[in-house]
Amino acid sequence: MNELKIEDLTCYRGDKLVLKDLNMKLKSGDSLVIRGSNGSGKTTLLRVLSNFIKSYNGKILFNDHNVLDDANYRNCFNFVGQKNSLKDNLSVKNNLKLWEIIYKKNIFYSKLLEDFNISHLMERDVASLSDGQKKCISLLRLNLTESKIWYLDEPFVFLDEENSQLLIQKIRNFNNKNGIVIITSNINLHNTFTNEIKI
Amino acid sequence: MLTLLKRDLYLALYSSSSFFYTSSFFALILIILPFLFGINDVQLQVLFKGIIWIGLSLSILLTMERIFNADYEDGNLDIILQQNPSIEIVIISKYISHWIVYCLPLFIVLPMLSFLFDISFDNIFLIFLNLFFGSFGMVFIVTFVSALTLGAKRTIFLKAIIVIPLFIPFLIFGTNLESWPILLALSMMSFVLSMYVSAYGLRLYVE
Repeated sequence: MNELKIEDLTCYRGDKLVLKDLNMKLKSGDSLVIRGSNGSGKTTLLRVLSNFIKSYNGKILFNDHNVLDDANYRNCFNFVGQKNSLKDNLSVKNNLKLWEIIYKKNIFYSKLLEDFNISHLMERDVASLSDGQKKCISLLRLNLTESKIWYLDEPFVFLDEENSQLLIQKIRNFNNKNGIVIITSNINLHNTFTNEIKI
Repeated sequence: MLTLLKRDLYLALYSSSSFFYTSSFFALILIILPFLFGINDVQLQVLFKGIIWIGLSLSILLTMERIFNADYEDGNLDIILQQNPSIEIVIISKYISHWIVYCLPLFIVLPMLSFLFDISFDNIFLIFLNLFFGSFGMVFIVTFVSALTLGAKRTIFLKAIIVIPLFIPFLIFGTNLESWPILLALSMMSFVLSMYVSAYGLRLYVE
């Protein structure tokens, strides 16, 4: 059983107060949607939770360990940001090869791409793909690590109805395997995920 | 560190042109020399020792965007920093990969170009030594400028204004064939400065 606890989280970006006294507790199998207008601090919150931003007040505890002091925490989560982490001048296959190196994991390319029914894109240059197709490939990074938490920053942007449903199913499967998911979104996902906060 | 190094070298290999960019650019700068200054052997040999440093400086300067900015722009820097807990290791692997991809090819074309200019073998060796030690120092410098200006778009002129004055000591001593120990010392000083400032720049980005 994993538990992510946020206690009195306050974060400034420059002089601007972005997050103020945020408290929440998530357990294995929980999903949380963070909603808010542009610039409200959704991405900042995910970057704080991912330990990219380390200057904040308050505490973030994962299984009662402060994430700032826990060297293993970086292996516990998977962060998929708004940028696709793809090299435009390379083919999809070569991008997957780079991931294979950096994640130190053998990838069965066509099987991985099959997740979003995009194995036909394997030899295509990333530059020639649509934003939605790039987003699908980017989200495949979720399959490459055995993480306990997913931080997804606007994952539904550019996705069509079919791929959105595939992603929702993927998130539910992860929840069923005791994974914790935190999603930021501008769109209303209230019918899909019941836990929602506004910042 | 080896993982990141391997990843950067594969990235250069997959975008196969990377290895040829700087060496072709470097060769072209040297080849146009006789068109500008005539074919007087002695004059060309003197100019050669200076122009190779201009070529090296420009080659390194023009590729500095690829050290951190390319990974920053497409989001790969987040993955790299998540997978590598030590920023210092990320920086060192970037030094090595950038040198291998963009400087090593210059050393492959240099002997051929030296023969074109009728440079003696002894002199080629000393030029090699100078360039070898100097090029590392120059890579250290562009790395920290690249880290400090991370995220700033269309700032190549600003970066050039910061970098070129820092290259001047390398250019001054580089043209003297006996001064490789000074270039080695300059490179070591650049390494210390670069490690500190690059780490600061990357932490600034992360924060």
